[in-house]
Amino acid sequence: MSAARHPLDASISFSKGGGMLYIEDLTKNYGAFTAVNHLSLHIPEGDLFGFVGPNGAGKTTTIRIVCGLLKASAGKVQIGDTAVEAGRRNMKRLIGYVPDFFGVYDNLKVREYMDFYGSMYGMGRRDIAKLTDDLLELVNLSDKKEFYVDTLSRGMKQRLCVARALLHNPRLLILDEPSSGLDPGARIEMKELLKNLHSMGKTIVISSHILSELSEMCTSIGIMNRGQLVAAGRIEDIMRQLSGGKRIHIRISSDMEPAVRFLKEQANVTVDSVRENEVLISYERTDEEVCGLIGRMIQGGIILTDFHREEGSLESLFMQLTGGGE
Amino acid sequence: MRLKLNPIVKKDLQVAVRSMRISWGLFAYEAVLALAFMFALLFIQQESAYVFSNNIYSYLVYLFPVLAVTQVCIVALIVPIMTASSISGEKERQTFDIMLTTCMSPFSIVLGKLASAMIRILFFVAAGMPVMSLAFVVGGLSWSTLFYFLLTIVLLSMFAGSVGIFCSAFCKRSITSVIMSFVIYFIIFVLTLIPLFFKLISNEGYLGEVLLFLLFNPIVFFVDFFVHVMTGKPFMEGASRSDVGFLTYHLAQGKVWMFTSASCIVLLSFIFLMLAAWKVNPLHASAGRKRRKKGAE
Repeated sequence: MSAARHPLDASISFSKGGGMLYIEDLTKNYGAFTAVNHLSLHIPEGDLFGFVGPNGAGKTTTIRIVCGLLKASAGKVQIGDTAVEAGRRNMKRLIGYVPDFFGVYDNLKVREYMDFYGSMYGMGRRDIAKLTDDLLELVNLSDKKEFYVDTLSRGMKQRLCVARALLHNPRLLILDEPSSGLDPGARIEMKELLKNLHSMGKTIVISSHILSELSEMCTSIGIMNRGQLVAAGRIEDIMRQLSGGKRIHIRISSDMEPAVRFLKEQANVTVDSVRENEVLISYERTDEEVCGLIGRMIQGGIILTDFHREEGSLESLFMQLTGGGE
Repeated sequence: MRLKLNPIVKKDLQVAVRSMRISWGLFAYEAVLALAFMFALLFIQQESAYVFSNNIYSYLVYLFPVLAVTQVCIVALIVPIMTASSISGEKERQTFDIMLTTCMSPFSIVLGKLASAMIRILFFVAAGMPVMSLAFVVGGLSWSTLFYFLLTIVLLSMFAGSVGIFCSAFCKRSITSVIMSFVIYFIIFVLTLIPLFFKLISNEGYLGEVLLFLLFNPIVFFVDFFVHVMTGKPFMEGASRSDVGFLTYHLAQGKVWMFTSASCIVLLSFIFLMLAAWKVNPLHASAGRKRRKKGAE
């Protein structure tokens, strides 16, 4: 490995805007069970991509295949120009992997931990020492350099693992559930760190169940369910495409029954749910037509206290696409 | 050219020497060796009055076999325990996946694990040197014997380590791989003796080429080495005859058997290591199947 310089100058070394991760028709079978089913995905360079899905959706399997830890039954994975299976050694240099659960070695100091993994990438001692200093500063662990790794908190270990994954300056950083098991403070720190890395131009793929966090920091997402990618793209695009904001909450203070009956009689209107004083409808109409519909409800003697378009959220989108199954 | 130390060796040694386990292990090892030495000396002293016609000095040479056998037994016991947890321990600690995503090849990982176990064993052997030296000084054995003995220990620990690593690669739990290691030991020992057993019960006299199987038996290797050192004649020499087994007869002359057997044991160790590397390679289909539970998320 060449002389140290990196802390995250990755974006300088390759052109912006190209593709970083190509997954084509990826399938993974375990006997009769299909964990990943014909998944195709393209993640552009510099993206912060969130992988979302209920447990058993196939996120970790996909990530493990991308990292070369699992053999795909069919399909192709390519990182930049390198196919995962063809150029194993080259491919390993392109990826930094942070698993969901990882252990540390007793009796190993933070500096030695970094030194160990740096050596495993064939880096020189001086390069490792220099990069360790820079990366520990980046993850806010400079003062822990001489601490034993097993004495660090879970959040610190997680950040150390991120620093470790960045040591060889990978083009793609993959984090599998990085916030699992972290307290709220550590989660915020992790989120800030990832945002920071993203702003430095690193391509990041992150899988998580904490949807609110993903919606705050990811530029695009992929929603997986039962081994299939049910939606992928920029968050706002998916929202627009799937829900399109065409759901309205109508709060009623008069009798609910005639109101619900009235709405059900309307063409291109579906009553999604009825609560105590509120009806949620979906519609396939223009905004003007919906205004007319509301007007007719009022004229029909139904007393409305409020109506508003449903705010699209990643949670609601996720529930809609996955059926809410965990 | 700068020789690069396998990072796994460096890390494993760093972790090992900081733990109290190695200190207690060394203490126990020294204690057992010292006890064996004392008991042997006491026995020789007592027996010399009746059996050895008061000429104790000519029998002090028997201190060496006692210590050597004790040391080999300890090594044979420690190495599988040490290596059987080398890969399964990484799996249990959940550090193995990260290791596999680095540029180290599965074979380098396996080799690093073996090297670190062998170096740790050499710590023990080195720590036992003062006691061993007593046997050599008092027993009048040469330095070259000591050197060959060390080589034998290295060879046996390499074989035991390879078996341990092989089991560690195949088992998820360390305890299972320790048990499996001892089972494989036993199988290798018994399997190589089976042809010999059948030949013996068939009353055919000399054993012929059947003895070639024993080249792969580490215990026979050690016994041959030992008899050679003590008597100056190879153990296998008496079991072969040129007209019954040409190859065996020529192998059994001088030190040829010992070196051939050593080569066979190295080859066997290499095969075990290759199999372990093949097993831990995640892109190997069956390795993937074993990871099913984890992979299926």
